[in-house]
Amino acid sequence: MHRTRWIATLPLAVGLLLRPSTAAAQDPRLERRLDPATLQSVSVVIDSARLQGLPVEPLVQRALEGAAKHAAPAQIAAAVRRLALELATAQQALGAASLPAELDAAASALRAGVNPADLTRLRHRRARSLTVALATLADLVASGVPPDSAAAAVIALAASAGDEQIADFRRAVERDIALGAPPAVAAAVRVDAALRRTPGAPRRP
Amino acid sequence: MFDRDEDVLDRVIDQLRQPVEMDPTLDAAVMTRVAAGGDRLGRLSPAWDWARRPREISVSPLAGLGVAAALVGIVVWLAGRNPRVAAPASGPSTVQFVVVAPGAASVALVGDFNDWDGAATPMLAAKSGALWSVTVPLTPGRYRYAFLINGSRWLADPAAPRVQDDFDAPSSVVTVGG
Repeated sequence: MHRTRWIATLPLAVGLLLRPSTAAAQDPRLERRLDPATLQSVSVVIDSARLQGLPVEPLVQRALEGAAKHAAPAQIAAAVRRLALELATAQQALGAASLPAELDAAASALRAGVNPADLTRLRHRRARSLTVALATLADLVASGVPPDSAAAAVIALAASAGDEQIADFRRAVERDIALGAPPAVAAAVRVDAALRRTPGAPRRP
Repeated sequence: MFDRDEDVLDRVIDQLRQPVEMDPTLDAAVMTRVAAGGDRLGRLSPAWDWARRPREISVSPLAGLGVAAALVGIVVWLAGRNPRVAAPASGPSTVQFVVVAPGAASVALVGDFNDWDGAATPMLAAKSGALWSVTVPLTPGRYRYAFLINGSRWLADPAAPRVQDDFDAPSSVVTVGG
């Protein structure tokens, strides 16, 4: 698994090592908000990401977030680099044809601790957009559901449930957790209930 | 679309349910006031004694079950999450953001949807001055955001999922389907 993640991020890492002396095109929003040194290092990451076919808007937004929060230059550059690596891993797991919003949500799921192989399984199970399913995965883990349990639940729902049903499932789990249910139990109970309501959905063992 | 008044009420209740940070010197200050206010308490002592006197209350099992069910219903109702996303038939979804910030001079919604510009999306205060809200159109995606209080203090949305933060300031996330 770690080998897969390493291979996925290798082109980006090489691109960062062979950084050009100046970035090809700098975003005017970044020019206005970042100091020259931070702008240079962030632009190199963004250019490398663009060459790989990764969405660059999340990277721009992460740099702007850092600037808005008056983060240290090194902190901003590190955050953008980390997100670029997560996007690369997400693209490797979900496929090159993935939507930018899907990759962004998948990067959040990876950050939360979800296994890249689970993202691939999710892609194979669901023909529709994965954005809401991936965001749900990230939010469940952030709510305390163990990554493996959250992934199993969302993958089980993915084949047949619509985005609204998946969002309802997340809200129900979060409500149960707020009422004191153990997160893993809340996810298991709610996914079984959702699968019972979904015609043609597979049952979890 | 959704019922706006009920939605705002839900958000207010959610906000009020969040833990409140107490001044660590509060206990000492209260005890000082209590010690100084003995005379006032003395004048109120008959009412105080009446309020503290134990009483036996008879409740039938059926009524008890009813009360318990009502309490559970209230808790479940209060546990609804924000922000609320209203999906139209086509185009961007309308998302309403609400925060309780009593005493704030200004509150802005800042996030991935407005280039993290603190001046782009000011929130409007209700008549009471404590409740601030704004509605923004969002295309499908996942957005990080936070509230900026008085141009300097960052506040995550207590009624939305938090995201792991890179910059030592809290952020929340909202997902719009599509």
